[in-house]
Amino acid sequence: MNKENIRLRVNKRDYQLEIAPNRLLLDVLRQDLGLTGSKRGCDDSSCGACTVLVDGEPQMACLMLAVSYQDCEITTIEGIACEGQLEPLQRAFCDEGGAQCGYCTPGMILTARHLLAHNPRPTDQEINEALSGNLCRCTGYVQIIASVRKAIELLEKQESGVAAAGQGG
Amino acid sequence: MGETTTQSSPIGARVPMVDAVDKVTGAGKYADDLTLPGMLVGKILHSPHAHARIRSMDTSAAERLPGVRAVVTGAETPVKYGILPVGHDETIFCVDKVRYIGDNVAAVAAESEAIAEHALRLIRVDYEVLPAYFDPEQSMQAETNLIHDDRPHNIEREYHHHFGNVEEGFAQADYIRQDRFDCPEVTHAALEPHSTLARYDAEDGTLTVWSSTQVPYYLKKTLAATLQMPEEKVRVIKPLVGGGFGGKSEVIPLELAAAVLARKAGAPVKITYTREEVFLANRGRPRQIVELKTGVTRQGKLTAVEARIIQDGGAYCGYGVVTILYSGQLLNAMYDIPNVKFDGYRVLTNKPACGAMRGHGTVNTRFAFEQQLNRIASVLGLDPVEIRRRNLLHPPCVTLNNLRVLSYGYPECIDRVVERSGWKEKYGKLPYGKGIGFAGSHYVSGAANPIIRSAMPQSTVNLSVDRQGGVTIFTGASEIGQGSDTVQVQVVAAELGLPLEQVRIVAADTARTPVDLGSYSSRVTFMAGNAAIAAARDAKRRMLQAVARAYGVAEEDLLMEGGRVLGRNGCPLSLTLAEAARLAAGPAGVLTARGSYNTPEESRGGTFKGAGVGPSPAYSYSAQAVEVTVDPETGRVTVDRIVVAHDCGKAINPMNVEGQVIGSVWMGLGQALQEVVDYENGRIKNAGLLEYRTASTLESPPVETILVESNDPEGPFGAKEAGEGSLAATIPALTHAIYDAVGVWIDTLPVTPERILRALQEKQQAEWKSPGTGARM
Amino acid sequence: MSLPSFEVVRPRTLEGALEELERHGPDAQMIAGGTDLVPSLKQGLFSPRVLVDLKGVRELDFIRFDREAGLELGALTTITRLAQSPVVAEYFPVLQAAAKTVASPLLRNMGTLGGNLCLDTRCLYYNQSAFWRESLGYCLKKEGTVCHVAPGSSVCWAVFSGDTAPALMTLAATVRLASPRGEREIPLRELYVNDGWVRLTKRHDEILTAVRIPLSSAGWKGTYKKLRIRNSIDYPLAGVAVAMRWASDGVCQDVRIALTAVNPAPRLVEAAARLKGKRYDPSLVDEVAHEAIRTAKPLRTSASTMEYRRHMVRVFVRRALNEVWANGPHC
Ligand SMILES: Cc1cc2nc3c(=O)[nH]c(=O)nc-3n(C[C@H](O)[C@H](O)[C@H](O)COP(=O)(O)OP(=O)(O)OC[C@H]3O[C@@H](n4cnc5c(N)ncnc54)[C@H](O)[C@@H]3O)c2cc1C
Ligand code: FES
Ligand code: FES
Repeated sequence: MNKENIRLRVNKRDYQLEIAPNRLLLDVLRQDLGLTGSKRGCDDSSCGACTVLVDGEPQMACLMLAVSYQDCEITTIEGIACEGQLEPLQRAFCDEGGAQCGYCTPGMILTARHLLAHNPRPTDQEINEALSGNLCRCTGYVQIIASVRKAIELLEKQESGVAAAGQGG
Repeated sequence: MGETTTQSSPIGARVPMVDAVDKVTGAGKYADDLTLPGMLVGKILHSPHAHARIRSMDTSAAERLPGVRAVVTGAETPVKYGILPVGHDETIFCVDKVRYIGDNVAAVAAESEAIAEHALRLIRVDYEVLPAYFDPEQSMQAETNLIHDDRPHNIEREYHHHFGNVEEGFAQADYIRQDRFDCPEVTHAALEPHSTLARYDAEDGTLTVWSSTQVPYYLKKTLAATLQMPEEKVRVIKPLVGGGFGGKSEVIPLELAAAVLARKAGAPVKITYTREEVFLANRGRPRQIVELKTGVTRQGKLTAVEARIIQDGGAYCGYGVVTILYSGQLLNAMYDIPNVKFDGYRVLTNKPACGAMRGHGTVNTRFAFEQQLNRIASVLGLDPVEIRRRNLLHPPCVTLNNLRVLSYGYPECIDRVVERSGWKEKYGKLPYGKGIGFAGSHYVSGAANPIIRSAMPQSTVNLSVDRQGGVTIFTGASEIGQGSDTVQVQVVAAELGLPLEQVRIVAADTARTPVDLGSYSSRVTFMAGNAAIAAARDAKRRMLQAVARAYGVAEEDLLMEGGRVLGRNGCPLSLTLAEAARLAAGPAGVLTARGSYNTPEESRGGTFKGAGVGPSPAYSYSAQAVEVTVDPETGRVTVDRIVVAHDCGKAINPMNVEGQVIGSVWMGLGQALQEVVDYENGRIKNAGLLEYRTASTLESPPVETILVESNDPEGPFGAKEAGEGSLAATIPALTHAIYDAVGVWIDTLPVTPERILRALQEKQQAEWKSPGTGARM
Repeated sequence: MSLPSFEVVRPRTLEGALEELERHGPDAQMIAGGTDLVPSLKQGLFSPRVLVDLKGVRELDFIRFDREAGLELGALTTITRLAQSPVVAEYFPVLQAAAKTVASPLLRNMGTLGGNLCLDTRCLYYNQSAFWRESLGYCLKKEGTVCHVAPGSSVCWAVFSGDTAPALMTLAATVRLASPRGEREIPLRELYVNDGWVRLTKRHDEILTAVRIPLSSAGWKGTYKKLRIRNSIDYPLAGVAVAMRWASDGVCQDVRIALTAVNPAPRLVEAAARLKGKRYDPSLVDEVAHEAIRTAKPLRTSASTMEYRRHMVRVFVRRALNEVWANGPHC
């Protein structure tokens, strides 16, 4: 099989790679780029542990042929902490017990991130719906939902902080 | 960690897990995330037959394939192993026979996954297919073609226990009920598929294995035995583990296969199971058939219980002997039952081996017992809660079968659930289609007797205090997502009066950490927790002694608080921990301390055959109310609400305890409603997460947890089990709620819509035949 | 599980895609979202030499509502876009209802309408790993000679398990197929063959480019009921789509009922015609619901029993009709 020279943009960084066209993005991220935060939990594309953001939208890297995603902005869990600071969702998953074994956590956080970006004040039902493509075997989801709720609180605080600072300045 | 200051104790604090940041950033490494230079990919060849003799095998074509670096077969690895000393019936690869579809026949290490997979297809195996057994009740009749030659009738083990006198007990009963319950196999389905990376260093003959295991210590021993290496040359490291639930609590074939391949190939080898292979490796909760007979007086007092239990163990023993014993032994330690008889059969069949799964051995028996108790209550017209209250234990006590119960929060669990759930206003009073159900369960806080009997403590912790006052815990205990590392940090910090940030933990690396038996039977908080406390106390004593010596004061006049050594009784001394540690380090230059835990003799149970399984230093208790809506036309059940009270002794970290309790309840719900390993002629038809169908957010109800703290006298700060005990009660509470909603009892799991509809139909037909029987009976 | 070796070509235009298909002939297979194809590739169900990746053909990604032509949906429209489209929600509620139940949010973000309509048929004896299928001796649909759900059968009983097709059938949708030989438009219902192995009348080199719903179907009331065990990430075990137009007096002017996941093809229920010209009548609804079972021939192709799936077809038809009809004219 011929390899192809491809360009991938992951976490705001450009990579040049030579890969076989049958390589899945999940494997390329994990094996070639060392970005092991995206997990493999299944082979039938049911679990969502491999979730990454493609142009901001959560998709499953175990279904993606890497050669076909050269024009996209890919974000993995490694790409969301800002300058080493946990982002509110990450903080909240720590503080509310949203991560037990942690294997579903990167996918959950990325999916939740997309939700909050489009719907900053979701109802519990909307959170449930949004996360319904990511399986967790540890938490029964209760503390995951609580974590998302907590993140919303943190984001609101951050915003009102920014607003207050803006007024003050 | 806002709430934790040096002033407030870290015991009872809702603090994040110590490894939480690694998990939310993706920085944490699980076994499959690890790589080594020159690493090869290992793949295992599995048997396509359920039962067959291996006539011959030809691996030459696979060996010749470019990129293949090693091929191994059973002939090279004939040493038998098994997690129990009485159950050494497995070899890394089958030597003469295959015993289930998926059995391990050979393995290949190659430069890529594709090459390894290709090589597997080139291995030629000539099988002589044998008749196979799939149903345990049929398998028990087998005379020929036995699965293991030394197990007549394919019975792995049978036990016959009789405590008190059930004949007399039944004679005293006003009402006797007999039912048959059938609970099919379910499996752990931890989100992380098993993965093992092995490196063999030919230069010094050492083997290092990174593996997704709950039991590094047993893995190390088994690696040494099966690879015929000295144990001290084997090192096992447990990275982050993506969930276990028992599925990683014995040695799993890939762990040995990776090591053998690495040694033969002379290069590191990683094997990561496909999801299908995870199902084939199995070790799930066996199908269990329970024939249960219970006698009660008119007032609902239990007089006798008799259980005949058959477990479909699959092709190898695994934990089987323990599982079957738990299923009988833990009929006790929950209620006061004066007479108990138990006939248990662990049966072999040609299917993947079963093993330990959350609530090991107790879940299906508990379902049967609680369901029957609820049925009895309804027949006698007693409140299901009341019948439980009439049969409580009166601890401290020792049960008929020698289980010692000290702390017993069950009565409080019952009360709190009754109150919070609105039980009195709801039970029997909700409109048709809505119902509420009640049940209880319990579990051990660690097996009192280790798997391999020895005088060695069950858990040992080393502790070092550096010259800046930083504390490092060295523990063999295995974090698998349940919070084991965090709990040890919390108890040590509490004992030394330090902020959590000052305590680090190094865990589960057999070359660096002392022995802990592993994460199974909910033993870690209790045992490693106690060992960690002992180590912290040892460190404290050494520091206080050193300070007392240096300043010429009495040791009794010193105490450790808020990260300082302070004088009391008029002694004005005040030193930092760092100063104390330096004094205690003395000429040795470093302060090390150690502690260990072993179960007290009195907790270890009786002497009869099988008495070793069931005893625990402490038992957790759980009571639950489940509310459902049943659509009588579709049979569909919606779980609206669950209230659970769990007696965890003391919640060292309430957030994590709640997480464990909710997770258990939720897993019980899965078993009750939708999970089943679906076999057809020994072949799993749903060996994937799509078809196995663990619940998504959309079927997962809110779960309200109440933590009951009975303060066990021997638990670390009073703590007991939290991660398994609540699972079992969910199932009978749910089936009870279904009864309350639509008036049918379902004794076969899972409670599918079909089963409910069939039961409703049968009920309707029965009512037509005999008009007048009430709807709620 | 590694994927078989193949090349991936990524045309940017429909014309380019057609050229690739012509060039590679039977060795080529199309891929859109890949949510159906990639898991199947892992299981060794297909071994194309070339994958023609349609994702770059942006001209096939559109939703157009035209007062004359009706609604046109490009084949590359993702299921998420479909489910969120205000036009679809307002004028074609049955389609929105069905789209919302597909797979999971993540899969809907990737899966396309074209792929959803061209979905491979499914069966517990077919959607298995190569190891599994080999150990059983394969099946009629792939590499074998026996159908394990109906031994002796000469046709394959694998079920069509897409959710949007039945909804679109109730709206009398047509599909446009483009090939190097030109373009044709056929009723969606004619795309399917009731044999799990043959599955589609579409030829190998034909690209499904668009779906068209006639304006006459706009504004029909409708709903979709789906049987599944897990409420997300689960193919239908049975699915019922109902769309109806009634006059202000409540008389049913036209109605269509379609079933999915209970046959190798999605099927329209003929008995629906009995409702035409009638006022809402629960016993008539019951009768049609009962008749609908005749159109459903589920075998042991998936979890759940055949009896239950048939029972649920009946319940769903009744409930769906009640939902769109009983409450409508009176409120
Ligand atoms: C876990 C899981 C659960 C799922 N559950 C559901 C479900 O509940 N309901 C449901 O309907 N689907 C379900 N699916 C299937 C799938 O996600 C959707 O059907 C999706 O819409 C398929 O679209 P795709 O673009 O991903 O198809 P692809 O995988 O890209 O293609 C599918 C097939 O269609 C062909 N094809 C694709 N586009 C065209 C075209 N334009 N012209 C001609 N041929 C074409 C391909 O060659 C291929 O044979 C599920 C999938 C998974 C993995
Ligand atoms: S790894 Fe399970 S969905 Fe991608
Ligand atoms: S935390 Fe373990 S799978 Fe979600």
